[in-house]
Parts: sequence; C-alpha cells; structure tokens
Amino acid sequence: MGTSGSVQCFTHEQWPYEPKFERVNGWRMHYIDEGAGDPVVLLHGNPAWGFLYRKFIKPLTAAGRRVIVPDMIGFGLSEKPVREQAHTLDGHIANLTGLLRQLDVRNATMVCHDWGGPTGLGFALSNPDRVRALVIMSTWAWPLPPAEFHKRIFPWRMMHAPLVGPYLLGRHNALAGRGMYLSVVDRKKFKAEAQSVYEGILPDPGSRLLTWTWPRWIPLDGGARGLARFEWLERELRKSKFPTLLVWGREDEVFDYRTFATRFKELLPHAEGPELVTGRHFLQEDSGEEIATKINRFLDRIGGKQP
Amino acid sequence: MTAIHVIENPTLENKRRVLVLAEDRVGHYPEFREFFVKQFALAANGLSRPGYVQAPSGMVYALVFIGRSGEPFPDGIEVYALPDALEPLNGAEVDADLWALLSWMIAGVGGEWRAEDLDATGRLYQLSMAASA
Repeated sequence: MGTSGSVQCFTHEQWPYEPKFERVNGWRMHYIDEGAGDPVVLLHGNPAWGFLYRKFIKPLTAAGRRVIVPDMIGFGLSEKPVREQAHTLDGHIANLTGLLRQLDVRNATMVCHDWGGPTGLGFALSNPDRVRALVIMSTWAWPLPPAEFHKRIFPWRMMHAPLVGPYLLGRHNALAGRGMYLSVVDRKKFKAEAQSVYEGILPDPGSRLLTWTWPRWIPLDGGARGLARFEWLERELRKSKFPTLLVWGREDEVFDYRTFATRFKELLPHAEGPELVTGRHFLQEDSGEEIATKINRFLDRIGGKQP
Repeated sequence: MTAIHVIENPTLENKRRVLVLAEDRVGHYPEFREFFVKQFALAANGLSRPGYVQAPSGMVYALVFIGRSGEPFPDGIEVYALPDALEPLNGAEVDADLWALLSWMIAGVGGEWRAEDLDATGRLYQLSMAASA
C-alpha cells in the first residue's frame, strides 16, 4: 500500500519533543511520550495532529503525569495511506489500541476531541481495564445526526462530495488551512502561530486524503458506514462509569455545547461540566493552558488530592 | 466560464496521460455515480473506454472509471490530463479546468446539488476560481 507525505521529523520552538514511532496494525504511527506518572493520552481529530496539544504538555508533565500524544494514521508525522479504503473507523480504533497496548498503557486518562472522540472512546470502551478517566471535548458518540451543520449541502456535504473533496481538500488543502482558521476564536493569533504548521504537515494532495475521508464517515442516514459502531459507542458509553470531564468551547457553533455537551451529560450523568472556555471547534488553540489546568484539577480531584 | 464538452474520439497521438485528480468513492453520494453512468453510457460501455471531455483551456481530459469487486460500477474515477507528450502541465490552467469539470458535474447531478453552492463553498475556502465564477 502506497503512502504519501511521509515527513518523519519536525522541529519547531513550540514542539521540542522527541519523535517516537511504532508499527501498529500494519502502519507506522508517530507519537510523543513525555513525563512520568499515570498517562494522559491526548487525541486529535481532522485535520490536526499532536501539535494541537502543544500547550497541554508542559502543564500536565509538570503535574507529575505521563503524556502520550499519538498522530492518527493519515495525519501529522504518521504514515499517510493514499487509498480511501485504507481508512475505517474500526481500523483507526484498532490503530490506537495497537499503540497503547504496545506501550502497555494503564490507568490512562483519554482526552478526546473531534475524531479522537469516536476512536478514543472506542478504545476506552473496549479496553476498560486500561482506562481511568475520560475528558471529552467538541465531539460526539452516537449515530444520527451529528449536527444540523453536517446535513447541509453548503458547505459541509459539498466540501467532501465526490471529486470535490479531492480537489478542494486535496489540491487546495482547504481544511488544514482556511477550515481550521474559521474554527478558532483568535484567528490572527492562529494565523501567526499555527496555521502554516497544520498546512505544512500535509504537504501534498496525496497526503491529505483523510481530510475528506473522515467527513464521509459521519453517518447521515440509516445505511451509513460506521452506523453500527456509533450505536455500540452510545450503548456502551451509557453503561460506563469512568470519571468524566466535559470541556467545551463557548463559541463552538458546529458541536455547540447546548446540544452536544447536554447529550453527553444525558449519557454520562456523573460527568463533570461542561466547563466552558473560549473556543470554537479547535478550542485547544484558544484555551490550551486553561484546559490543561482543568484536566490537572479534575485528575487531582478523582485521585483524592485537594485542589 | 466556458462549458465542459463531452467528446467522443479525441486525438491521442503524441499525447501522454497525467493523473490530476482521483476519487476512490464516487458513489459516496449515489447520485454522483448515476450522473457518470448516464453521461458516459457506462451501463453499456463498462470498462471498455474512458470518457473524454474538453475543458475551457482546450485541454482534453480522460475520465477513467474504476471498478471494485462487490461495489456498484464505477466505484472510483481517475481524471487524466492529456497534454502534448513532452510538455509540462500548466498547473493554473489545470486547476481552472478541474473547477469547470466540478461545476459541470454538480449541475449534471442536479436535485439538491447546485452549482451555486459549489461556488459558495469555493468562495468560503477562498479559491480564486470560485471568486471569479
């Protein structure tokens, strides 16, 4: 199976971390592994990579935690398959499972955002003996519909329509560039600090395949791929007792907190939050340090430490 | 914007094929597959020949239809530019041609899919072709 855009190193003043690689589920996966203590696994979605969590890592490691940040296969420094058929929701859950079992991760806190939600929750619910707690941000875990936004032709369905997706998101890298820019609050800061990093890590059209493949995995009707897995996620999540913290961007108009955090609260009545921060969908960009502090306090509380 | 024209028997002599766009899942929205099936009589022609179109720049493009066991045909489409054999592509021209191809496709798919929404999506993502549409 061919791959594209196989960048294997990245140097940046905001990302001084040693790249690590493991072969998981047949693919080369990049991750960083910093600090020591109970692990916190930070999971990104489309079209991001570990860099999204750059402001989380020091506060979490300074608090005595091990921080693992994988790049999903198809993003960041991980291998990038060039065929859409290489990507499935179950496959991505298996990729993450492969990495975390190889690292023998136990007592983990899974921090889930965007497609890091269905994949990270999929891991947690199928490996409950390895997971201590959940932090859930701007994502979903049920079948239909994810949001009104995802049912509309303009811009969502048009953006990833047949041939349009490979053109707009492939040739023009629209999601990693303009798409992320539109999904933060402080756009000026994002453009100066991070936009070129997200664009540059997907250097060629062939390296951007997953940016239009993931949108096609969002179930929109009863015949959709992945529907059964989302039904399972909802069913199992409702039964789960993991201590959970919900963190949401106040300005998130796609996964708006009134709809999505409320739905998670209904599934997980014991969950704390939602704690609202400044942020649209990519709330880590606007409120990274603040969210890391909230995670530290949450983990201190469930670990019995006084705040 | 000049229209896309379907052509039957382009001159292929002294041309080469350059892959410029690939779609692995044309039936993600089944009406897109149906458009290509009707437009190029794929129920009858199957894999026997590509579809050919001429784009605004004058370049001819071959649409190669991909079959995959267990999936309705076509499952994928590869779009190839057909430049003179030893000449490099003009990237900006190809980009504009592909945008015209997408506009033609969306108009042909029809129903809830409107060329105006393609243009609006292009403008949202600041494509120069959409801005001039």
